[in-house]
Amino acid sequence: MSYDVMVIGGGIAGMEASLTLADAGYQVLLVEKSPSIGGKMIELSKVFPTLDCAGCITTPKMAATANHPNITIMTYCEVQEIYKEGEGKFRVKILKKPRYVKVDDCIGCQRCEIACPIFVPKEYEYGLIGRKVAYIPFEMASPRKALIDLDNCVMCGRCERACPTDAIDFLQQPEVVEEEVKAVIIATGFKPFDACLKKEYGYGRYKNVIHALEMERLLAPSRPYNWVLRPSDGKVPDRIAYVLCVGSRDKSLDFPICSRVCCMYSTKQAILFTSALPLADVTIYYMDIRAFGKGFEEFYNMAEDMGIRFVKGKVAKITEKEDGNLVVRVENIDDGTIEEEEYDMVVLSIGLTPNSEVVKAFKNVEIELDPFGFIKPVSENTNPVLTNVKGVFVAGCAAGPKDIPDSVAEANAAAIQCIDYLYEVGAKVVVR
Amino acid sequence: MRLNVDFTAKLKKFGAETTYECFNCGNCTAICPLSTNEEQFPRKFIRYLQLGLESKIRSSVEPWLCYYCGECQQTCPRQANPGELMMSVRRYLTTVYDWTGLSKRLYTSTTWKFLSVGILFFATLFIVYLLHGPIVTDHTELETFAPAEIVHPAGYVFGTILAVILLGNVYRMHKFIMGDTKAPFSLYIQELGTLIKHFAIQARLRLCENKSLWLKHWLLMTGYTAAFILVQVDILTFWSLTNNPPPAWHPAKILWTYATVAMLYATTVAIIGRLKKEEPIHQYSHSTDWMFLILLWLTVFTGFLVRIFMQFDLPLPTYYAFAIHLAFTVPLLGLEVPFTKWSHLAYRPFALYFLNVKRRALEGE
Repeated sequence: MSYDVMVIGGGIAGMEASLTLADAGYQVLLVEKSPSIGGKMIELSKVFPTLDCAGCITTPKMAATANHPNITIMTYCEVQEIYKEGEGKFRVKILKKPRYVKVDDCIGCQRCEIACPIFVPKEYEYGLIGRKVAYIPFEMASPRKALIDLDNCVMCGRCERACPTDAIDFLQQPEVVEEEVKAVIIATGFKPFDACLKKEYGYGRYKNVIHALEMERLLAPSRPYNWVLRPSDGKVPDRIAYVLCVGSRDKSLDFPICSRVCCMYSTKQAILFTSALPLADVTIYYMDIRAFGKGFEEFYNMAEDMGIRFVKGKVAKITEKEDGNLVVRVENIDDGTIEEEEYDMVVLSIGLTPNSEVVKAFKNVEIELDPFGFIKPVSENTNPVLTNVKGVFVAGCAAGPKDIPDSVAEANAAAIQCIDYLYEVGAKVVVR
Repeated sequence: MRLNVDFTAKLKKFGAETTYECFNCGNCTAICPLSTNEEQFPRKFIRYLQLGLESKIRSSVEPWLCYYCGECQQTCPRQANPGELMMSVRRYLTTVYDWTGLSKRLYTSTTWKFLSVGILFFATLFIVYLLHGPIVTDHTELETFAPAEIVHPAGYVFGTILAVILLGNVYRMHKFIMGDTKAPFSLYIQELGTLIKHFAIQARLRLCENKSLWLKHWLLMTGYTAAFILVQVDILTFWSLTNNPPPAWHPAKILWTYATVAMLYATTVAIIGRLKKEEPIHQYSHSTDWMFLILLWLTVFTGFLVRIFMQFDLPLPTYYAFAIHLAFTVPLLGLEVPFTKWSHLAYRPFALYFLNVKRRALEGE
């Protein structure tokens, strides 16, 4: 089996690019590092400014990608080496990490999960709750297949005995497969900013300081506690503060660019509180509200009208009180006073940082990065999806922070440019 | 209110290079442990700089309330160096208070700096050459070389001139800060405690998060004060400028040892810090900062050499070291105390004093 295109990354951009290429009749190999496709979007609660349920619009894409005859998905796999051996010829080596479960045999019944005695923090829920060592990553995972996290496993064998189809296989080994593709699309997305690096906000030290992706989970329809509770004592928070620009527009962290989404997702979360916790007071501390997209300014105005307090000022530091409450110190720029307010919970609106490790896999060509570490398009304005290497395209947040509609649009642009390239190198279209 | 559109360009010479980096997020004001709602800084002052509100800055007391701990510098999202901008405003204010105009020249012109240090250095050496007493070479007789009846009166005259200039500057500072506010004389008496307390222990510097700053500063300050007092009373105690130096356990000598060690330590640490540029307070050095540190270090070090040579009874090295010590002391005191960096010894406590007086006067009205 040979493929026309390898898409690296199974988030919304990767899935969208794969679907467009596959619909055009090309054979796509979609490689995803984690055990399920879906990326960051499947973790979200709602999307701005339409307040559509993120899960409800991602799962159909995931299902379409998973069931498309022209798409082959390799989850839990990492691209290790890529060699460009001429135009339209890339030789790639992909590491298949062992799941310790035979994917073909697993029926997703979760009996292994029930039998497993060990709990560890659940990645999908950002550690808010636990998962078992034998587990399915999350309810809507695709493929809905179990895997065993061997690092935490005690080898008790209970999962093996519980499995009705004998799918558990502790003897699996890492395996490297070699494929040949004609073009590559990089859609590796972003890494959320590590909030621990902003020490004055106390993330990781103060229990009730959480980041916005954790709050996304607390607000999502599939949320862990079915309620918004603060971590230290399970109290329902009455007063919530948002700190914007954590890890973006900050030269002290060598990251001067705007992350483009935190103003709006914070506003969205604040609006969601009006239904999730109608009595809670929400304050958003911002440097500038960048409501630049279609309907964004109206969305922001709506939030203001709903009684969400917007305060202009960069939060300087957060201190924890004995009862777990947090004191936020900020200069309120509008009325020129230094404000010290107490909150039950503080949410850090973390920025989007580059996730470009994949460029190291290119062995005989070098993919250029921009000064911030994102993949650099040949021309930011006129050709945002072409990289400096012909035949390698970029889509979504891999090229810089952006929101979902922009990522989807860029994924389609990358797919179309890729088709152009495939035509040039003479790839055959499979007519269905 | 008048805007001075050239103000930012003017302040660049005082070290304010990053004025336009600031986007007024307020991080610096909120992280500062000294900034309060009544006396807000640094952002307000960066705003004044950006807008060219020279008259506002001239009448402000807040720059003297900032002790440059550098918290704002470390967390500024624009790396606009708020602490250094406040420092530049202090340098500028020093030239505003100075009525002679020399301060402005020293801060803004390299030529003036070198010229004035050089003139005072060589003039002192020349005066020593003209007026020194007989040179005894078989053993050290410092008092014979530098007769106390010349050195001490000359010192007092010099000191009085400096004090008059500095107090004149403080008087001008008072006028700028008080503005139209009239305070009754009794308030000035009642608040004297504030002046003395802050002069002696720099209590506000202790409010900064980094406590080692206070310790180093206090060592330098007490060292200098001790040395200053010892020199003043030498006309009575005869421990220093004498042909028969007292033994090591003499109280004056013990105090002198403390002063030397404290000052040498603090200045050396500061010089190394400014070369390494690791701490925020040391990252940006104006030429006058170097001038102050180098002159002070050389003065203390040559003073130390005089003592060593005397101890080992080396007549000629002692006399040379003494002459050079004097030649560094004169520009150090003559230029630093009334005109440049060292004038803060008066401006900082007086700023707090005037602030309290003004506040109480306004409350009383």
